[in-house]
Amino acid sequence: MRRLLLTMLLPVLLAVGCTREAEHAAVDALYARYASRTALAAAKVCDFSLNDTVRVDVVLLQAESDEEWGRLKAELDIQGDEGTVSYLADPDAPATRVAWTGEPVLRVVASHADRAIGLYRLENEEQYDALLDYQLNKMKNDK
Amino acid sequence: MTFEELWEHEERQGLQQRLQQDYPAWLRRRRTALATVVSVAVVSVAAGITLSTLHSPLATYDAVACNRSGIAEGHWADVAANILIMNSEI
Repeated sequence: MRRLLLTMLLPVLLAVGCTREAEHAAVDALYARYASRTALAAAKVCDFSLNDTVRVDVVLLQAESDEEWGRLKAELDIQGDEGTVSYLADPDAPATRVAWTGEPVLRVVASHADRAIGLYRLENEEQYDALLDYQLNKMKNDK
Repeated sequence: MTFEELWEHEERQGLQQRLQQDYPAWLRRRRTALATVVSVAVVSVAAGITLSTLHSPLATYDAVACNRSGIAEGHWADVAANILIMNSEI
C-alpha cells in the first residue's frame, strides 16, 4: 500500500517540478541576453500572477536613454512613437512575429511612454487566455 | 489436587486457549492500524511538499532578478502589471 502510494505520488511531483523548471530556464536565457547591456535595466519576474491559478514568467526591459530605446525598438522591429504595441513572437527570437498555434510563444508588449518592453512567456492556452483576460479586466477596472 | 487448584488450572488453560485464538487476529489489526497511520503520514508529507511548491493566490510574483541594485522588486511587478494596459504610463 505504502509503496503504491509513493509510486503514484513521486512521478506527479517530479513532473510538476520539471515543467516549471524548464519554463524558468527558458526565461533565464532570455533575461541573460539583455542583462549585460549597460543602458538597459532588465529584470525577470518569475511566476507573475495573472489570476488565482495561472502564473507566467516575464522579462522586463526598460531603456535608460532615448538612444537605447531606439536601439531596442529597432532590434525588435517596433514602429511608431506612441501608445502600446503588442504582438506574439518566437520565444527564441523576440523580433520574429508568429501566430498562436498552441506552442510556447512570447507576448511582447512595448510601451513608448515608459520606454519599456515586457516579454511574457506563454506555454499553453490557459496562460494565453489568462493574459488576455488580465488585460481586459485591468482596463475595465481602470476605466 | 483441591477444587481450587483444579479451578485455577482450568481457568489458566482457558485463558491460554483464548489468547492463542485471539492473538493472531489482534496482531493483524495492529498491523493494519500501523499501515494506515504510516500511509496517512506519507500522504500528508507528500501533500505538504506539493502545497509548499504552489503559491499563495495573494502573491503577485514569486521572485525577481534584476541587473540594477537600486530598483525595488515591487517596481518590476508594477511594470509587469501596468504595461499590459494599453496607453499606460508606469
